[in-house]
Amino acid sequence: MGLEQLLPAIAGMTWQHLVMMGIGLILIYLAIAKNYEPTLLLPMGFGAILVNIPLSSALTQIDPATGETVEGVLNIFFDAGIATEIFPLLIFIAIGAMIDFAPLFRNPSLLLFGAAAQFGIFITMIFATLLGYDIREAASIGIIGAADGPTSIVVASRFAPNLLGPISVAAYSYMALVPIIQPPVIRLLTSRKERLIRMSSASHNNKKISKKALIAFPIVITVAAGIIAPSSLSLIGFLMFGNLIRECGVLNKLSQSAQNELSSLVTILLGITIASTMTADRFIRTDTLIIIALGLFAFIFDTFGGVIFAKFLNLFRKEGNKINPMIGACGISAFPMSARVIHQMGQKEDPYNYLLMPAISANVGGQIGSVVAGGIILTLVPLLA
Amino acid sequence: MTSTIQTTLFIATIGIVGIFIFMSFFYLIILALDKYLPYQEEKPVEEFIEEISEEEEE
Repeated sequence: MGLEQLLPAIAGMTWQHLVMMGIGLILIYLAIAKNYEPTLLLPMGFGAILVNIPLSSALTQIDPATGETVEGVLNIFFDAGIATEIFPLLIFIAIGAMIDFAPLFRNPSLLLFGAAAQFGIFITMIFATLLGYDIREAASIGIIGAADGPTSIVVASRFAPNLLGPISVAAYSYMALVPIIQPPVIRLLTSRKERLIRMSSASHNNKKISKKALIAFPIVITVAAGIIAPSSLSLIGFLMFGNLIRECGVLNKLSQSAQNELSSLVTILLGITIASTMTADRFIRTDTLIIIALGLFAFIFDTFGGVIFAKFLNLFRKEGNKINPMIGACGISAFPMSARVIHQMGQKEDPYNYLLMPAISANVGGQIGSVVAGGIILTLVPLLA
Repeated sequence: MTSTIQTTLFIATIGIVGIFIFMSFFYLIILALDKYLPYQEEKPVEEFIEEISEEEEE
C-alpha cells in the first residue's frame, strides 16, 4: 500500500496548500497577538487551515469509492448564509442595535462626512477598471473602501463571489489597521495649525435628544431610503430594524441579544464560511495581491476625501467656527476606531482639545454612509453595467 | 477610452453625487425630527400625581 492510499492528504499536499495554511496562521496570530478584528480574523484564519488540508470533509468532495458528491458543511453554510446574504444581513441587525444615533442629532451637519469619506470606494473602482477588472468586480473591490465588512460581503457575494475571500480579508484587515493607515495620510494633508482647531460644536455635546425622535429616525430613514432606492433596502432596512429594537425601549432583552449573542454567533459562522473561499487554487493568485493593494488604496482615498471635504467647507466658514479637518477622516465606517484615532491625534497636538464627540458624530455618519454607498452600488451597477 | 471605463466613471460620478444627496436628505430628516419631536423634560412622578389630583378636584 503506497503513501497515496495510506495518507491521501499528505500525498495531495502542494506548496500552495502550505502557503494558505501559513496565511491562516498569520490571521490567527494577528487576531490573538495584535487584537486585529479577532472576532472575524480568527475564524477566517482557522477556516483557511481547515479548507486547505487536501480532501477536507469541510468542503464538498467527490467520494473516490462511489463517485458520489459528499456535501461539505462549509459549502452548505456558504450556500445558505452568504449566497443568500442572510449572514451579513443578520450582522446588520446586530450593528443597528449597537449604534447610538444621538451624537448625529447633536451635530447633524457632520453626517456629510459620512458621504465624503466614501470617495475611496469610487476612485478605487475606477482604478480597478483601469487594471482590467470588469465593472462588477471593480465595484466589489472598491467597496472595501466602505470600511464595513458586512457591506463588502453583500456586494462581493452578489457581484464577484470568486473574489469574496481576498475582499473580506482586505476589508477586515484594513479596518483593524485604521490607527496605522489614517494618521500619516492626515498629517500629509493638514497643517499643524489646522490640527489644532477646536470645534465650537462642543457646546452641543450635552444636548438631550428626545426618545420619540430616536424611535422615529430608523423608521423614517427606512421609508425614505426605500422610496429613493428600493434595492438598498435590504442593507439600510436591517440596520435600521436593529436600531429600532435598541431605541424602542420595550425590547431591551432582544436588543442585548442582538448586540451580543446574535452578533457573536453570526460572526463565527460568517468568518469560518468566508474561509471556504480561501482555498489555495482560488487565493494564491496575482489577483489577491492586487485586491489587497487596492483595498489599502481605497482606505487612503477615503481619508483623503473626508479631510479635503472638511478643508473645502472651512473655506466658507468664519474664523472660530471652522471644522478641524481631521474630523473628516472619521467619515469612514470603522467605528469607534476612527473616532478614537482622531481624538488621540488631536490630544497629541493639544492636550486640551477634545475632539471625541464631533469625531463620534462623523463616525456614526460614516456607518450610515457606508451602507448607503453599498446600496447605491447594488442599484447602479446592474442598471448601467 | 473603452466603454467599460466610461461606464465606471459614470457610475462613480452618479455614486458620489448620490451619496451626498442621500446624506443631505438624512440631514434634513434629522433637523425635522429634532424640530418637531424636541426633547421634553420628564416630570417627576410626584409632580404628575399632584397635577392629576388638582385636575380631579377642579
